[in-house]
Amino acid sequence: MKFGIFYEISVPRPWGPTTEYEVYQNCLEQVRLADELGFDQVWAVEHHFLEEYSHCSAPEIFLTACAMQTKNIRIGRGIVVCVPQFNNPVKAAEVAATMDLVSGGRLEFGTGRSATWTELGGMGADPDETKKTWDEWTRIIPKMWTQERFGYQGRAFSMPQRTILPKPLQKPHPPMWVAVTSPGTELDAADRGMGSLGLTFGGFREQEKKIAEYRRRIKHCEPVGSFVNEQVNTVNFLMCHPDLDYGAKAGQRLAGTFNYMAEQLLAARQAYPTRSYPNLGLLPALRREATSAPEGAIPEGLCIGNPDRIVEVIKNWESVGVDRINFLLNAAETIPQHEVLESMRLFAREVMPKFARTAEPVGAATGGV
Amino acid sequence: MPLVGTRSVSAFEGGPKVSPLAGEQWLLPGCGILQVMYEIDADAITSLLPPALHPTIPPTVVFTITNVPESPVGPFVMAEAKVGSRSGARPRGLLVTGFVSTGAAADALGAAWGYPLRVAEVTLSKRYDRVSGRVVASGSRVLDMALMNPEPISGNDIQYLANLNVAQIERDRTWISRLVQSDPEFTFRSADRGGPHLEAFEAGAFGLAGAIPVFPVSASYAIADIQMPELRYVADPAKSPIAAVERL
Repeated sequence: MKFGIFYEISVPRPWGPTTEYEVYQNCLEQVRLADELGFDQVWAVEHHFLEEYSHCSAPEIFLTACAMQTKNIRIGRGIVVCVPQFNNPVKAAEVAATMDLVSGGRLEFGTGRSATWTELGGMGADPDETKKTWDEWTRIIPKMWTQERFGYQGRAFSMPQRTILPKPLQKPHPPMWVAVTSPGTELDAADRGMGSLGLTFGGFREQEKKIAEYRRRIKHCEPVGSFVNEQVNTVNFLMCHPDLDYGAKAGQRLAGTFNYMAEQLLAARQAYPTRSYPNLGLLPALRREATSAPEGAIPEGLCIGNPDRIVEVIKNWESVGVDRINFLLNAAETIPQHEVLESMRLFAREVMPKFARTAEPVGAATGGV
Repeated sequence: MPLVGTRSVSAFEGGPKVSPLAGEQWLLPGCGILQVMYEIDADAITSLLPPALHPTIPPTVVFTITNVPESPVGPFVMAEAKVGSRSGARPRGLLVTGFVSTGAAADALGAAWGYPLRVAEVTLSKRYDRVSGRVVASGSRVLDMALMNPEPISGNDIQYLANLNVAQIERDRTWISRLVQSDPEFTFRSADRGGPHLEAFEAGAFGLAGAIPVFPVSASYAIADIQMPELRYVADPAKSPIAAVERL
């Protein structure tokens, strides 16, 4: 089991002249501490226009800053929106390779397609097209990294032969992931030999079935990259406190705030009738998880409470096949920064040692420098 | 904390007096439902809503015209312009004033589910190249919209917002203002989508002065059976979103 941290970078109103600066500085302080404490990875999303919920529209810049302030922690681009109105595949490959070089080969490359009308409409993207362009990009970007010259004539993207530079430090290229919010996307990940970057929680039983199917399918995959990255990564909340009750209440406040802000956005499906978005994505799953427990109880899958409880929760996640857990540490600065840092320290001291490192997964082993 | 509505609660006083139906609710077979969504000017992001609701990001108005061929009060056509919003974390459409083609339907829908409706000439017409809907009230065209170039889709791909209707409920023998939640169930027979088109919209006629549609989002047309709901929740327009919802 590996542990990481995950950023949406939510900025609460009222927005003063330095509010965003302060939130970003808090995040960077957390990343530096995570590196010192032995967390394995830091991920940052790409979102646009999502007021308060996520002010993380240039994650490649934030993650580069993280890389420059740390030594070991891997940096996860989670995710590159593979939609031409948001990004360009050549530029995405170039930026990723540069991040890998300047970080000393620490990049994890996540892919996805956006799930809100707020973003898709804002960028002028066609919701019907996003799955198709994502599919196309995930197949050509690894070739841009590994072929000396790359040319391509495709459906939504074409280019004559050019030398795309620089090339990543990790050979043959950084591990590739798919953001999984819609049911079935974990199977898309498996079929393409990509890691499942789960952004929903769900109960243990629900996840166990999905993970088993992912493991079964990936054995017969046609990898889009040069190697198979068979890993299951999931997201959780972290509030670790010596007092169970305090930690649980603060953690539920964190989860509730995150969920409440997420629900203010306009999901693609709520605005635009399309089979490309068969469900509401991340948002209902978050709400279910945050409110799934009976009154007064702690939702079973959340890493909140005291170290003993969190150890038990993680053991359960481990038993259903999760390889990595990334933690959301805060939402709208609901938890004071000093408590976030103390929570991380306590987790590193009393929870992390209970989960001895296992052998490197296939993807990481072959995807290393 | 997300933005909340800033409109005076006095704008939500009045509305029909609700006496919820006891027992079985209406089933309305074979209804035609034209829905057109537009983003509205962000200057109105909070000014259309009461303190009980959050705006969506971006702010939207959803126009709906429903042709009901059979009902206990006879056939009717209803037109709504709803502001996209959130009651806490739940998606809702605020209906301040709508229109319906018959007085009997206005009375019945208002009394049973709190729909605040005025009688007007409301029409829905389907052609092969478009589905269009129009409302003429007191001789003035207050809504004229269309779905252009329909193409078939699955009804499961369409989402309708639950209504919050500006109405009154009786409590301790006093009529008080509440937003009454109405969330019918839809069983789809067919569905289309197409390009949204808005020819005319007089926002003030719908109690939404200041709502300026600025960007088309989507349009759908469905034939569906509508099961009207049993009322369960209301919201106090004056309270914060977290405190506003009450069990009926």
